[in-house]
Amino acid sequence: MSEERVTLTIDGIVLQVDPGTNLVDAAHEAGIEIPIFCHHPYLEPVGMCRMCLVEVGLPAVDPATGAAEQGPDGAPVVRFGPKLVAGCTALACEGMVVRTGTPAVSAQRRAVLEFLLTSHPLDCPVCDKGGECPLQNLTMRYGPGTSRFVWAEKYRFPKPVPIGPLVVLDRERCVLCARCVRFQEELAGDPVLGFESRARGMEIVSYSDPPFRSVFSGNTTDICPVGALTTVDFRFQARPWEVVAVPGVCVHCAVGCNLAYDIRHGRVERVMPRRNDEVNEIWLCDKGRFGHHFASAPDRLRSPLVRREGRLVEATWDEALAAVADGLAAVRNAHGAAAVGGIAGDHLPNEDLYVFGRFLRAVVGTNNVDHLPGLCRDDTVLRAGVGAGTRWADVGSGTTVLVVGLDVEEEAPLLFLHLHRARRRGARLVVLSGRPSKLDGLAAAVLRYRYGEEEAVAATLVAAALPGGREVRARRADGGALSAAVAAIGEARDLMVLFGHEAQRAGLVPALAALVAGTGHVGRPNNGLVAVGRHANAQGAADMGVLPDWLPGTVPFTDQEGCRRLAAAWPGPVPTARGLEAAAMLAGGVRALMVAGTDPVGAGSAVADTLMGLDLLVVQELFLTATARQAHVVLPALSAPERDGTFTNCMRRVQRFSAAVRPDGLGRPDWQILRDVAVRMGVSEPYASAGDVLQEITRLVPGYSGLAPAALGAVPPDQPQDIVLPFAPLTAARDVEYLGTAYENRFGAGWVWPVADGGDTHRGPPPAPPAVMADLTPEPATPPADAMLLVPVPLLYDRGTMLEASLVLRPLVPRPYVAVCPSDAQRLGLVHGTAVCVRAPGGSARALLRVVEGVPPGCALAPDGLAWTTPVVTLVQGRRYAPVSIEAAGA
Amino acid sequence: MPERFVVLRHRELGDLSSLRAYRAAGGYEQLQRAVSTMKPAEVTAVVRASGLRGRGGAGFPTGAKWAFVPDDAGPRYVVVNNDESEPGTFKDHEITLANPHQMLEGAALAAYAVGAETVYVYCRGEFWHEMARLQRAVDDARRAGLLGADLWGRGVRIDVHVVAGAGAYICGEETALLSSLEGDLGQPRLKPPFPTVTGLFGRPTVVNNVETLANVPPIVAHGADWYRSLGTSGSPGTKVFSVSGHVERPGNYELPLGVPFRELLELAGGVWRGRALKAVLPSGASAPAIPAAAVMDLRLDWESVAERGSLLGSASLIVLDETVNMAWVAAMTTRFFEHESCGKCSPCREGTFWLDAVYRRLIGGRARPGDRALLGAIIGQMDGACFCPLGEFAQCVPRSSLADFGQDYDALEAGAGGRPAGGRP
Repeated sequence: MSEERVTLTIDGIVLQVDPGTNLVDAAHEAGIEIPIFCHHPYLEPVGMCRMCLVEVGLPAVDPATGAAEQGPDGAPVVRFGPKLVAGCTALACEGMVVRTGTPAVSAQRRAVLEFLLTSHPLDCPVCDKGGECPLQNLTMRYGPGTSRFVWAEKYRFPKPVPIGPLVVLDRERCVLCARCVRFQEELAGDPVLGFESRARGMEIVSYSDPPFRSVFSGNTTDICPVGALTTVDFRFQARPWEVVAVPGVCVHCAVGCNLAYDIRHGRVERVMPRRNDEVNEIWLCDKGRFGHHFASAPDRLRSPLVRREGRLVEATWDEALAAVADGLAAVRNAHGAAAVGGIAGDHLPNEDLYVFGRFLRAVVGTNNVDHLPGLCRDDTVLRAGVGAGTRWADVGSGTTVLVVGLDVEEEAPLLFLHLHRARRRGARLVVLSGRPSKLDGLAAAVLRYRYGEEEAVAATLVAAALPGGREVRARRADGGALSAAVAAIGEARDLMVLFGHEAQRAGLVPALAALVAGTGHVGRPNNGLVAVGRHANAQGAADMGVLPDWLPGTVPFTDQEGCRRLAAAWPGPVPTARGLEAAAMLAGGVRALMVAGTDPVGAGSAVADTLMGLDLLVVQELFLTATARQAHVVLPALSAPERDGTFTNCMRRVQRFSAAVRPDGLGRPDWQILRDVAVRMGVSEPYASAGDVLQEITRLVPGYSGLAPAALGAVPPDQPQDIVLPFAPLTAARDVEYLGTAYENRFGAGWVWPVADGGDTHRGPPPAPPAVMADLTPEPATPPADAMLLVPVPLLYDRGTMLEASLVLRPLVPRPYVAVCPSDAQRLGLVHGTAVCVRAPGGSARALLRVVEGVPPGCALAPDGLAWTTPVVTLVQGRRYAPVSIEAAGA
Repeated sequence: MPERFVVLRHRELGDLSSLRAYRAAGGYEQLQRAVSTMKPAEVTAVVRASGLRGRGGAGFPTGAKWAFVPDDAGPRYVVVNNDESEPGTFKDHEITLANPHQMLEGAALAAYAVGAETVYVYCRGEFWHEMARLQRAVDDARRAGLLGADLWGRGVRIDVHVVAGAGAYICGEETALLSSLEGDLGQPRLKPPFPTVTGLFGRPTVVNNVETLANVPPIVAHGADWYRSLGTSGSPGTKVFSVSGHVERPGNYELPLGVPFRELLELAGGVWRGRALKAVLPSGASAPAIPAAAVMDLRLDWESVAERGSLLGSASLIVLDETVNMAWVAAMTTRFFEHESCGKCSPCREGTFWLDAVYRRLIGGRARPGDRALLGAIIGQMDGACFCPLGEFAQCVPRSSLADFGQDYDALEAGAGGRPAGGRP
């Protein structure tokens, strides 16, 4: 802070705050409560509820001399105004004296509470907010014990109405503080709520169609200071004082939002945000909040299954483990270790992924190790990843964020919230993508590549943006977007580049790494690459070496020193032969395949027939997926809330979570399954817990060496510091009247592994620009005249196995559709809503046609993961896109 | 004291509503002179020197307000507040209908003075006729080259847009008006920043009342000294007093500020039917009632009325005769404020709602013990706690009725209920 801090006195406590701090926040820093309803520390002050009125005095100044007046004792004279002042809209200034405990202030608080309660239904006994309700708490603390308002004259509204698919509004309880309205506008970037009417008849309404169209809607229930907004998930399920909060990390995307599972009777009753200012602050997206039902889903695998006479039948663990061990031994003996392979999903925790790689390399003896979908496939992040110490709150003016091949809102929603706020603070956003997304509306420049020419367009941008970059003229008129993008990058003090799977599959990552390295935007906070995968541990999968050519810590498998170090601790040497990638394994490159936590058949990247031909297919899963149905042995695993472990998020923050619910069934964590198989194969593995695995990781994985349990459990300095056990209830650690019902973080804010100054010897030179830099974008490969390019796109709410049990989210999952632009629809002679048949190289599927402005001409965007008769990835045969024909169905 | 017409000149000169008539009376000459020969700052200086104070109610010095507009580059706006909604106020309505060009010329002078190219006239939602008349005046002036681009070849552009409100009293408050004008819900904004710095669309904006701006052309024409020769030193000029209620001749009367109420009452024909005066509401529903004994010799300027513990406001005097029950009057003003509270801040939203509930009990003969004390308590709880003046104004009539006309509550509190004995037949 360049400006000088100002000194003020609140109730006799002298404190210094940053200029521009309002009195409520200043008092909060001093541990003094100025009660609030409308104010919220993350929102702009509005001064509506008048609960925060305090006495404010300023140093008296002699108008003649301009000097501060001094009393007889030499102390400065302070004059108090005749009226009380709203603490949320008054800013601290030098010498100010604030009194919050005087009779006038107390009387005014009583008055405002009595006013607010005149229209309140006082239905606390049936209100879900009861027990964690600011109105209730502040009334007990400051309010009158009784009301003089006549009950029968209360303003009545019809009882709760759904204001959106996930949130219910009770207008009688609403105190019209506009926190929800302002959250949607200022933070979420979805200004879909507003006030309607006026006076006591004023009410919150949603203007969007469908109503409350926002992936952040659940947060309004956290910051609602009364029981006006409640979630459909938690309504009437439990009382807040009955639940025990267990800290967790969201499993649904790579942001790694900190959350707490509120448990009652061994059941997750709701998911609440757990504060982490460097990850999710106090917010969660609706997928994270409402998509928690997978753990207790009725179709969870509860017992091992073994194929007997062509059918999968229940078996004991002993039988199943023996079948796996014997099967692996048989294949290894007959065809060699290279005939065995393993593919893991990148939503498995670090411990499981580490043991997975270790098992295949050191116990089986093969480098055929890979993970799906696999965003990080080399050491790019190690060399050019975003600097440790990056804070979203610091991203603002002077920072440019380039977002490449990533639909932030659909793939990592909290990042959209951060980017929206960063832009409000003055950051510039540049979007490089093939199709429209909501981020376009916030961007200073939007660059579109045609599918098929991604690399050339990215290379053009990078060439122009690098120092001494060539003047590049866009081949097509782009409305100045290229020069605007180059300017935004060139003028940036800090540059962050976020990329997703679309960018990675198109091969853009080397160019992006070259951009940040070539412009010097590496190794510092708020600078560098952020690889935004689709799953919780996309980064961890690469870090744990679940790749055919990289060992844990992204050490090349050819690195002698690295191999020696691992071999010293592992039960066997690291194989020297290069392993197969997942695609090669799935295409028949191996005879035996271990699959853990991924469903290549369901995701369309494998053909069931190929897997049927394997000598051994072992699947470790939560559900009987399409892949599991082909397996010889299916082993039930545990989901994150049922066990403990760590995830590494897209900013390389390693975060721990603990077991929240007791598993229903015989499932075991994946690391334990692999350990047990190893034991069956005669190799004793030294782990008794995920913590043991983590200890080995800190010892053997470069980069993770600084990761001690104490680092994981460190709590930010501005949050409660008392030492708590992982299972201690978090319920008390909240400041509901100030922050809302989000939990404070007592479990640790995680630890970011360093990229630039870790002292690891294996780090290579910074990435060099690609050798070929096209100045001009080539002609796109034109599909046949009437063909469209089918492009699979990800959706936040889909029919993925982890969401299938969350019925509250089901109404938000669309039926399969393909989106085309109006001119293509016209050319095809089809209108919006038509049932169409999509004929593709990989088969055909039925869908509804959506005509959407902004879809690239010639493209049909097809959201993957819906209830497709043929998965989209199968239609495009696992490629990024494929030419298809679209015609009216049933013709 | 005879009427003195500065704003209501049509009363002297006959019809001024057409452009031809207004020009025949020297109309738009001041605008032409200012644009052709005066610097913008000179216009502001004249208005400042004249001591003209805002006629919308607050009485803020107009020239000072104009001078607050910063000199930075970029657009700025003049907004004419024609959201005349105060009960008993009907002066802007007459000016808009009968002398619209004088207000437009004043608005154009204001725009020239502060460097604005765009003027919005925000009209009360119910002003259909007024808006039609005003729009015709704007169109006529534009066709005649008196508004629009490149006025008198000096490169000055002044466009006027007539905009309809949606019928909310709060939109007479300048920041709520600006929110409404921007298409948002009409609710007041936090001040500071003041509109002169951050106003319409975030740009410097001068918001002036219709009557205020109608005073500007005469001031520019005759000079500050002439204007100061009218009225008092603190409240120079004339004021259009809207007189309503129990008088023989209700209507607008333009008189120099500082005129004793007695003379205004005489002009209005005195209290009707020969009855005695009971009280006067000097500023519609928004000022404490003044008992008859204190009002007759009261000079009607902002300082004198404030000294008496009330507010001159927009000078819309509602005269109440001896038959009126002041508790009923307070009930009526409360009902108005309960209906017009924007709902933004809780003391006003809930306080007016609660006051109204208690008054309905009293008037409806359903009084509960302690209701009178409860009224006092609610008013006390609202006092000084509201976000904008509306909530504070809502307390004025109830509070003064309790203080000065307590006997009017006696029967009601005993459960008698009922309307005032002497309302309109």
